[in-house]
Amino acid sequence: MSYEGVIEQSIAGLKELLKSGEEIIGYIYPHVPLELFMAHGFTPSLVRALPGVASGFEESLQTFACSYIRNLYSQRANGQFLTLAGLLFPGNTCDSLQNLGDIWSVRFHDDRVLRLTYPVIRYNQDDSATKFLAEEIRLLSEKLSKLYNRPFLAENYDAAVDFVQEFHNGTQFLYSARVIQPEIISYSEVVRLVRTFLTIPTASSMSEIKETVSMVQNKADELGLSDSIETVQKAILSGDYTKVKLPDDLVSPRIVIAGGMVEPQAIASLMNEIPNFSESFIVLDLLSFGFKTVFTKSPTKSDDPFIAMAKSVLSAPGEPTHEGLSYRMNAMKDLLENLSIQGLIVCEQSFCDPDQFEAPSIEKAACELDVRTIRLPLDPELSDRGRIETRIQSFLETLE
Amino acid sequence: MNQERASEEKPYRRLETQALLQQIALRHGLEAMEASENGHLAWVTSGFPVEIPIALDMGVVYPEQAGAIVGAQKIGPEVCGYAENLGYSQDLCSYARASIGSTEKPDEVPIGSLPTPQLLLACNNICGTVLRWYDAISEMTGAPVFLLDTPPIDKVQLPHNQAYVRRGVERLIEFIESHFNRSLEDGRIREVAELSSRATKLWIRALEACKNKPSPLNCADRFLTMAPVVSSRGTEHCVEFYESFVAEVEERVKNGIGAIRDERVRLLWDNIPPWHTLRFFNILASRGVVFPADTYTHAWTGNMVGTDTLSIIDEVVETYSKVYLNMGLDAKVDKMCQLIKDYDLDGFVMFSVRSCKRYSLGQLVSKELVTERTGVPGVIIEGDMVDSRVYNEAQIETRVDALLEMLM
Ligand code: SF4
Ligand code: SF4
Repeated sequence: MSYEGVIEQSIAGLKELLKSGEEIIGYIYPHVPLELFMAHGFTPSLVRALPGVASGFEESLQTFACSYIRNLYSQRANGQFLTLAGLLFPGNTCDSLQNLGDIWSVRFHDDRVLRLTYPVIRYNQDDSATKFLAEEIRLLSEKLSKLYNRPFLAENYDAAVDFVQEFHNGTQFLYSARVIQPEIISYSEVVRLVRTFLTIPTASSMSEIKETVSMVQNKADELGLSDSIETVQKAILSGDYTKVKLPDDLVSPRIVIAGGMVEPQAIASLMNEIPNFSESFIVLDLLSFGFKTVFTKSPTKSDDPFIAMAKSVLSAPGEPTHEGLSYRMNAMKDLLENLSIQGLIVCEQSFCDPDQFEAPSIEKAACELDVRTIRLPLDPELSDRGRIETRIQSFLETLE
Repeated sequence: MNQERASEEKPYRRLETQALLQQIALRHGLEAMEASENGHLAWVTSGFPVEIPIALDMGVVYPEQAGAIVGAQKIGPEVCGYAENLGYSQDLCSYARASIGSTEKPDEVPIGSLPTPQLLLACNNICGTVLRWYDAISEMTGAPVFLLDTPPIDKVQLPHNQAYVRRGVERLIEFIESHFNRSLEDGRIREVAELSSRATKLWIRALEACKNKPSPLNCADRFLTMAPVVSSRGTEHCVEFYESFVAEVEERVKNGIGAIRDERVRLLWDNIPPWHTLRFFNILASRGVVFPADTYTHAWTGNMVGTDTLSIIDEVVETYSKVYLNMGLDAKVDKMCQLIKDYDLDGFVMFSVRSCKRYSLGQLVSKELVTERTGVPGVIIEGDMVDSRVYNEAQIETRVDALLEMLM
């Protein structure tokens, strides 16, 4: 399915949900406690930048605002947003989103703007960050109860924990399977499933994931790859790759896509346009809406729910606010080295501080391992698409 | 004689204390060099609770000021270029680029490159960029980064936010103590807090003197004289400097002497100034425009009043969490309106700094809100504080002219 097709499909899904009376809370930063919204009886939906959005609105956002928030703002100002019960902005993750939340409240004062502020953790030896976030989540929960008169229901929460965990397990399996054998299922298909679930986390999105997982599982069993897949999944979650054993007949080049709030589906669609290459070269992405969300650990039921959700959110790997740069670079190097990666495509959202600050360090780290890199400045509209494709193509050719 | 006349003809007056500022800077530079050689120099961000490292006898320098110096010397594009050659995008904060560039090529930046740090102290109460910038410097120099995380607050600081920042300050103390094998003495922190408070109070006195007409200080004066209160509050020489400074300012007020010779329009300045084109203020001075207040230098007015270590830590938490840039848009608008009222200002100029998203995104909205609430007009000009490549002087002039036409 084309990128545009996937978008249309998820929008149609959302509309249907709305029609059936569901109340939807949109969120922008991917690491939110989905379980919380579900516990209050809402459907959380990841709101994202879209291609084909006419920009403008220089009376509200300067041109040096990141292309991501400009796109979101334009969608809302153009009337492309669906009716949401509320929209959750993150605090303390990046300056652009921090300020966008404020601008949004003024410009669209009928929208219910919610805020969840994150701690910036640096492997401190205490639990102050977890406690801070847990309290933020609890206060948000209180606000949801008061504003919408929908209390936090423990049985909803328990069911949500299981439900979201199934998503994590299933998509982690798919990601890991592709590390062992990228042709086992296409990258576009995996990220389509992730995208669909994050947009409309319903039973039907989940059953699609489950069906795909069981199909891939069968293939893996036939090929005798199931154990290796499981080892990869465990290794990525723990950061310990000692037990990973990759097949001898890996197809090269093996590419990883690094970056932040860049749309995995857009990358897949770019790769599919490149003559003589297929997206099966993409072994893994390290993107916020892909890897970093998929490999987040689920809340444990034995903990207090707010602490459990905070721990879960803070376990998202590779987020610039969650770990120090050297930690992230070492984690990435381990991954590249142990998963036998030859090339790294570093995507940078235009005017995104976190992406643009990190890119030189990623390049340097990859260079130390002789992994070749290319940096791609992107915006959600994929303006300059032709040139980007040519650059990817030349890059892939250097890897052959 | 000739010289005197020439200076007499200038539309603005130079502060005598500026000469002292150079001495302070020189002294500060030498001390920093010595601290670096002795292995205990910390680089600090402008919003960092510098009282703590000072009380722990660390040397401190302030890279944003070094960036300002690079800008003022008009070598911003070149020095930022060294960082760009390393792969740092031209879209990134130019203080960060100037700092990365001068760390990469210190010999090319004799004034404005800082001695090698042994510790990088970042507080994200001014922006999230500082963390990524200091991480990059850490990668280059090997010095560890300590981040004091101060999550933004809306209007009031909630108890969990307070507790979290408090733990951060405690961890900061533990971190320096263990890394540099020293301990925080109760007497010493009290002394530093007291000195810091004295410097800040003097600074506030100088700022408030600008409510007078004519204003004894213009924007550029405050931007130049703020450096010690940002980086060296808590030291004796900082207090001494502000004593002389305030004496001069109050003398001006007593004698009805203004920062500019013919004050006709009083404006508020928002954001960092264009260091490479400080003559912007002088050119406007010749048209009778003075800036008695600005949001930037008013940000360093938090005051320590603690009397023992515990209460001082509480003060640090409160003061540093509530800095201007760490509050929501409403608080920023409130602050601007208050300044316009208190300083009896006729309008405002907002400098939209491409480098600084935290300070600048939202200005388009605040401009409307401030005018709505105060009735005074404002204008937004765009550029950068260090990187003169993105400063379009002609366009800026046209915009400011349009504002002045309304006011004159
Ligand atoms: S793309 Fe970058 S700057 Fe923009 S919202 Fe995301 S993290 Fe922030
Ligand atoms: S981004 Fe802004 S607040 Fe942050 S260091 Fe740069 S100029 Fe200062």
